Amino acid sequence: MPNAEQALPPDAAKPASPDAAKPAPPSDPRPAPPPLPLNTVAPIRIALALIYFHFGFLKFFPDLSAAEMLSTQTIIRLRLGLDAHTALYLLAVFECAIGLLFVLRVSMRIVFPIFLAHMAGTLLPLFLLPELTFKFAPFAPTFEGQYILKNSVVIAAGWTLFLAETRAQAQPAAEDS
Amino acid sequence: MKLKSDQVLPLLGMFVIGLGVHATYQTYRGSELSRVPRVGTSPGVAPPPAPPLEGQERPAPLSPGPRVQPQIEGLSIYPTVHKGMRTPFDLWAYYGRGVSSFGSPILPMRFEQWLELHRKQKPQLMQEVRDYMASRYDFSEEPIPGAFMSGGKPIMAGPVARLPEDVESWEALAALPASEVRARDLFPFKPLAHPLQSTAHMVFPRSWIAAHPEHERIDVDMDLPEAYLPEFPPPLFLTTHKELGDVTGGREVTLENYYEIFDGLLSPEQMEGLKELLRPTATTWFNHTDHRVTELPSQGVACFDCHVNGHTNGAFELGPDSRPHMGRLRVDTPTMRGNYNLMQLSSKRSIRSMDHFAEVEEYFDGDPGMQQAIGPRAAKREVTNRMADFNSILDYPPAPKLDPLGKLRPELATESELRGEALFRGKASCVQCHSGPAFVDDYMHDLQVERFYVGRAEGPIKTFPLRGIKDTPPYLHDGRLPTLADAVEFFNLVLELKLSKQEKQDLVAYLLCL
Repeated sequence: MPNAEQALPPDAAKPASPDAAKPAPPSDPRPAPPPLPLNTVAPIRIALALIYFHFGFLKFFPDLSAAEMLSTQTIIRLRLGLDAHTALYLLAVFECAIGLLFVLRVSMRIVFPIFLAHMAGTLLPLFLLPELTFKFAPFAPTFEGQYILKNSVVIAAGWTLFLAETRAQAQPAAEDS
Repeated sequence: MKLKSDQVLPLLGMFVIGLGVHATYQTYRGSELSRVPRVGTSPGVAPPPAPPLEGQERPAPLSPGPRVQPQIEGLSIYPTVHKGMRTPFDLWAYYGRGVSSFGSPILPMRFEQWLELHRKQKPQLMQEVRDYMASRYDFSEEPIPGAFMSGGKPIMAGPVARLPEDVESWEALAALPASEVRARDLFPFKPLAHPLQSTAHMVFPRSWIAAHPEHERIDVDMDLPEAYLPEFPPPLFLTTHKELGDVTGGREVTLENYYEIFDGLLSPEQMEGLKELLRPTATTWFNHTDHRVTELPSQGVACFDCHVNGHTNGAFELGPDSRPHMGRLRVDTPTMRGNYNLMQLSSKRSIRSMDHFAEVEEYFDGDPGMQQAIGPRAAKREVTNRMADFNSILDYPPAPKLDPLGKLRPELATESELRGEALFRGKASCVQCHSGPAFVDDYMHDLQVERFYVGRAEGPIKTFPLRGIKDTPPYLHDGRLPTLADAVEFFNLVLELKLSKQEKQDLVAYLLCL
């Protein structure tokens, strides 16, 4: 929603004061960008939630997730002391939980770091398993590599969501100060 | 927590996705594309009743009886892997089918990437293999005083398998019922998997690699210490020249020296057979193509590269008799000594003749299609017959304490050895399977070892001949028993013999005489 300041004409927003004739101190002449209305980023939130839940839920079922090998081989290389089966199960829980956090509209201040950590994990095969993710590194990814590189769009979507929410929350506070 | 309107629809969407994925899985599993076999748990279907004969009443329909239920409780489906990818060390806890029985000679990546993958992966893999083996075994390399293989290599004392922490002794473990050992996960002799089962194939011991660096693999090394493997090179004894003892003079028989060593001792047919046993041929992973596990193209592998000097060097691979690859069992190289006495060959398969033994497609993992793509390896029947001609004169090592009937000569044996013999033929029940001149019954037996751990049943294995057994560690088809003492502990548990510590020591002393 537009905030109260935006609703007023530019002149009306300036309070009258004795120092009005004085030149304003030098500052950033650009106005602060208005936050994106939250209802415009709602589809991003829903899409992220459904994709996370869907692809995570697939991992609960043996032999159903196309990302099984990439996920388990990456986790093995991280030497977390987990067997492949347990690792995949935990990843499924993790991804479904992120999906639910999105849909339940838990604060992005909490969800975004978790989301980013997961996204960082999805990028690891590019570095740990280049033999599987690149036909020729770095500009000819395999199908799996393309699948991973497209996560940049997902990260951008998450960032947009984070900014929209945090700015919307910050705006009333700015007005109060 | 009160849900808002824009949360309800996505949650509903998730619910639908969950149901859809579940329904998809039910349809997908058991299909020709799925690695999850559909296992029948429904009751059997009774055959349709036969029409009644004229003048007879229709009999009451038969109700179906119980069906054999699958034994998959607690098991996981084999992981999806490409060639070269890491596989679990506890593959015995998995099951499933392959997408196809047939292999492909194509790597899943460029050869340069294949090399790079293994250059990075092998150090980490081998470190984890060493950690895993150290968690299962205490390889102290302590020899049995005065006990040596036929060529003089010290024989290791045991048992080296680690007891579970909350069990105070082997005798305490043997006192527990199988169900409790299984429930508490106490069994110390679970199977050994190939350390890199996705590629698998032959893994040679370090002593062999030192002499034949062309067989050093880029991806994996032997996981057992050299002290627990057969000696290299081992002696070679001929049934036709017992007076000569080891005819090799301590040398490894090769294509370069076989003629010099055997000319004048063998018949021309046997010489031709031996030459063929020494001639390297391409295999699935040792060859001149990119589909290989050596840095440089390889001439391949000869029979005597694992069965060195007609014995074994402890190299292991996977039995070629099953699919998927993940489900193939690790098998040690059995010795060829005394094959003339065996009606069945191989440890996990029932190979019925030495000709068949020479012809079987071990080199291409049981896949003739791979042979056609990578080969050639096509031995004519008369050649395999001649390989068998040589095979059939490879003798056991001398056993001076045994009489012609295979009994200990009391004047040469110690008290412990004699007590061991009495146990062997009595309380320990060994003789039930290990009888006759080779101490073998030529049957396969299902030891039902899965009674003691949650794992896939491995089925019947062939009784190993015990003549010359001290020369062929490690024991059992997959080498999970590094010493004779481990073998005795294993059978004491599996056959529930309840032997005392002294009795087990006596049995080991006896086995060293065979």
